[in-house]
Amino acid sequence: MLTRRRLLISSLAAAGAAAGPLPIAARAAAPGSANIRIEIDPEGLYNVQSISLIVSNVLGGYLLERLVYLDEKGEPKPWLADSWQTSDDGKVITFKLKPGKTFHDATPFNAEAVKLLFDTILDPNSASPSKGIIGPLEKVDAVDDMTVRFTFSKPFAPFLGLLGQSFFGFNSPTAVKAAGSAYARHPVGTGPFMFKSWTPGTEIVLVRNPNFKQFRPDAANQGLPHLESVTLRVMTEEGVVASALQTGELDIAPLTADAMKPFDGDAEYVIITDKHAKNLMFMEFDYKKAPFSDRKFREAISYAIDRAGVLQAAFGGDGAIALGPLSRGIPGYDDAIAKDDGTPYDPAKAKEILDSLGWVSKDGGTRSKDGVPAHFTVRSYADGTTERALAVIQANLAAVGIQVDIGTADWGSFYPALLKPDWDMDLNRWTWSDPSVMSQLFRSPGHRQLLPPNAAIDSALDAADGELDFKKRMQDVSDAQKAILEDRLILPILTDWPITVTRKVVEGYRLDYLGYTYAGDLKIAAD
Amino acid sequence: MGRYLIRRLLLAAPVVVGILLITFLIKAAVPTDAVTAMYQGQMSEKDAAQAIAALRAKFHLDLPWYQQLMIYGRDLLHGDLGESIRLRRPVVDEIGFRYVNTLILTGVALAIALVVGVTTGVIAAAKRNTWLDVTATTVALFGISMPAFFFGLLLILVVSVWLRLLPVVPHGPIAILLPALSLGLIEAAPISRVTRTSMIDVLRRDYIRAARARGAGELSLILRHGLPNALLVVLTVVGLQIGNLLGGAFIIETIFSWHGIGELAVNSIKWRDFTLTQAIILVSALSYLFINLAVDVLYAWLDPRVEIQA
Amino acid sequence: MSAALDEAPEFEAESRLAQFAARFLANRSAAFGGLVLLVLIVCAALAPLIAPHDPLAINPIMRLRPPSAEHWFGTDEVGRDLFSRIVYGCRYFLLICLVAAAISASFGTLLGLIAGAGSSLADGLIMRLMDVMLAFPYILLVLVVVAILGPSLWTGMIAVGVAGIPGYARVVRAAVLTVRREDYVEGARVLGASRAQIMFGTVLPNVLSPLIVYLSFATPLAALLASALSFVGLGAQPPAPEWGAMLVNSRTYLFSAWWAVAAPGTALFFAIFGLNLLGNGLRDVLDPQS
Repeated sequence: MLTRRRLLISSLAAAGAAAGPLPIAARAAAPGSANIRIEIDPEGLYNVQSISLIVSNVLGGYLLERLVYLDEKGEPKPWLADSWQTSDDGKVITFKLKPGKTFHDATPFNAEAVKLLFDTILDPNSASPSKGIIGPLEKVDAVDDMTVRFTFSKPFAPFLGLLGQSFFGFNSPTAVKAAGSAYARHPVGTGPFMFKSWTPGTEIVLVRNPNFKQFRPDAANQGLPHLESVTLRVMTEEGVVASALQTGELDIAPLTADAMKPFDGDAEYVIITDKHAKNLMFMEFDYKKAPFSDRKFREAISYAIDRAGVLQAAFGGDGAIALGPLSRGIPGYDDAIAKDDGTPYDPAKAKEILDSLGWVSKDGGTRSKDGVPAHFTVRSYADGTTERALAVIQANLAAVGIQVDIGTADWGSFYPALLKPDWDMDLNRWTWSDPSVMSQLFRSPGHRQLLPPNAAIDSALDAADGELDFKKRMQDVSDAQKAILEDRLILPILTDWPITVTRKVVEGYRLDYLGYTYAGDLKIAAD
Repeated sequence: MGRYLIRRLLLAAPVVVGILLITFLIKAAVPTDAVTAMYQGQMSEKDAAQAIAALRAKFHLDLPWYQQLMIYGRDLLHGDLGESIRLRRPVVDEIGFRYVNTLILTGVALAIALVVGVTTGVIAAAKRNTWLDVTATTVALFGISMPAFFFGLLLILVVSVWLRLLPVVPHGPIAILLPALSLGLIEAAPISRVTRTSMIDVLRRDYIRAARARGAGELSLILRHGLPNALLVVLTVVGLQIGNLLGGAFIIETIFSWHGIGELAVNSIKWRDFTLTQAIILVSALSYLFINLAVDVLYAWLDPRVEIQA
Repeated sequence: MSAALDEAPEFEAESRLAQFAARFLANRSAAFGGLVLLVLIVCAALAPLIAPHDPLAINPIMRLRPPSAEHWFGTDEVGRDLFSRIVYGCRYFLLICLVAAAISASFGTLLGLIAGAGSSLADGLIMRLMDVMLAFPYILLVLVVVAILGPSLWTGMIAVGVAGIPGYARVVRAAVLTVRREDYVEGARVLGASRAQIMFGTVLPNVLSPLIVYLSFATPLAALLASALSFVGLGAQPPAPEWGAMLVNSRTYLFSAWWAVAAPGTALFFAIFGLNLLGNGLRDVLDPQS
């Protein structure tokens, strides 16, 4: 079907070529450049100011490099850093940098650049969202040109893993100082590609860094990037993206599961699924309100949800159901605990528990207890995926005799509104690369101030955050998962796997453990 | 004319003040702002609180609404529209090119609407009650009934996907074709009806009958007498519709990724970025008032000439 | 002769309604438009009998299926039957038209009456207020309503209703100003009627005709506006089968499942088209000159 259309286009083009320049010629990429879709226009390309997903992807894959990267198992490995040493009390980490790295503006990468980044983040005037992420960090000193010392107020285990994120990539101090508030429109880093131009709302053009040195051993291409240039094209409308791939206007595009269907099984395209995805879609409760303050009630609801059905409806089946409070892509995910203590889909069991709690239904309709009907609200943020997920959840709960009303609002309304007591359950989703996300959500009083104090959970989380030894930390993380799951504080539902579709001629496209592209490996084979 | 202009400008002033008042009152009523929307949920509550506090102080978000209004008014008089909270750059940089884009889209759409609308209206009036007339009127009715974004989606489907006449994401000057067609063809409908009605009305008048009796050709009658009168009425309709075009184009802008002010308006509310919203409201209101004034002046200027001709 | 004179008015009054009905049915636009409205009302009232499936029943395995014998219009993104949803959607469409028109017409008429028949101070104030409302970009007004009141069908309808007030106010005011100078109004004042009595007793009935004409084409416009509300997250919340929401949410599937877009879009179009025809017909019957 696609080939016939191509024939039609070429014959039209041939016919029209005689008539003059044809504005309809599809913009297929030249072998040296690639057109890549991005979902929204970044708000600014300065990692100190912005940690949103899109900014992170653009900066992290193409423009900035970090001290460490995470390997296949999620362990930090040296990248721009050569080695590091931790003091005995765990409060000081000293890094030695690899020599020979320069920024896109030819200034040298050294300890001063590292210090400047962290000083800027820690400065309250920057209002940097990254400040909270590295909480216990007190100060950073440049001991000499190639040595940097980080001092913490207490041992902070997540730090090394977090260093791999684009939030802690390095900007040229010269460029930052010279540009001032305009830096976000023209970033200067050390990565394989350099910033060239940005047409707001439309596209960002990057060009090969001619002086690039690849310090990362797990990159397939250890030399200069294969591509001469990369154009990141902003396309928000999903339906349009699929067509643009077909006409060759795009080479690489992240897509939703539905939009991806036409390409499934077509030899002209390669579908890449990120099975390391670190997101988790889950439900929470207003734990201060009856009946959700009752652990058994929460458990009943957990058994009632058909996670596979939600996955199918919301993401076309692309992903994995989740039974534990961490997603599989995060180091420390304990599958055994998820299987032992999780609540798989079992509506019969849900009904049994509800009956035992006194929630009965007279005629197979909505249950009630002491005259109070089981009629609750579920809130969520407005998005196609949540809306479809909620449709399934609503049906699942109705099947066990619980009636729920759905309300969605955009994120800016939804999340702050959770601080008010007028909701019962919510459907939420996080994306984070480190187990410390559990601390952010579940250390009492919890991210929405609703959790009762729980000594088992809090001490496990504190231990996990303070244990610098990787293996011991993983044990603490397991304990924390068990404690959270046993208390039914979270109703995990699924992890969805982001899909990227590339044209067959694109080679070398793969994602690392944190989800960043190996931009230097990308290549377009000549047709 | 000068006194009229001055009087109208003076009358516009309280409207602008009223709009600013409403804007800031609304801002006070909306429960969250950009800073909260950006940071809450991205990190721990304590750290979010501190990042939020820093930015709020910078943008005066902690002050009562009337104080914010005064500060904004003062800055306005210095020509300063403020800085976008989310983008951390001057509002002017963001709104400038988008406003131009919206004007271009509105202009081309209006041109299409006028050409198509007036032509079909004239034909329908000239060939009254024939099948041409019925077709034209029905099609015009279709146009009024069609939701603009449905029409836009259909155009994309037919033109880009089924017929492959245009790339799905056109670049350069051709990118305006589909969005302008979507807006323009739909706007052509009311223009066509109004043209037809007023043409019929004029062509019925006694002085036209007299001229016809004296042997004047139908075509010259239409062009010299019918058209100018019709155009006057069309002008009024266009004046009313322009508000729609400028403001209602946001859906078309989003579907076709035409980066205009409508798209930004919707996004600014989603992001709770009120500096942007305030500026957009101001710019839109001023445009609307200016266009109203222009239409009225144009009408007054054109009207005496028509009377003299008659 | 006097007998004839005495009889004539009675004869007139009785058959005025009959005359109206006759002219209405004879006018093709009005008849067709009326038919469409009738279909909408029937579908809305008898939806449970007409719709073959439950419009809310999801079936994730059957999502985005093309039209078939089982599902006449196909299924949507969670497997619901589109035909049933379209039928139930008639209820939402009619409700939206009614509520929005009621809000716009009632407040607008009141304001227009006061502005036209009251003091010039009231006139000035009200008209300036209407100017402010018209100058305020519609989309931002609507979005702000969402931000404050939260998204729901009712806030959406209220937003559309409020946005329509200035139009009605202007039309009614213009009509009142024309009527004001008529003799029977002067006569009523001479006879000692109060301002309010004059406004509601004498002026209003004579303003009805242009008001109904305006209503006839403002309502389809309001319906169009309302259909776009879902684009910004307002309007009926899922899983309600409101046509505008269905249209907006299915646009991602334009290229893969065009029936999910075509069904609600065409339904909207036909309904609004019918209303417009009806309005045309009403205009021809009530006010042949315009």
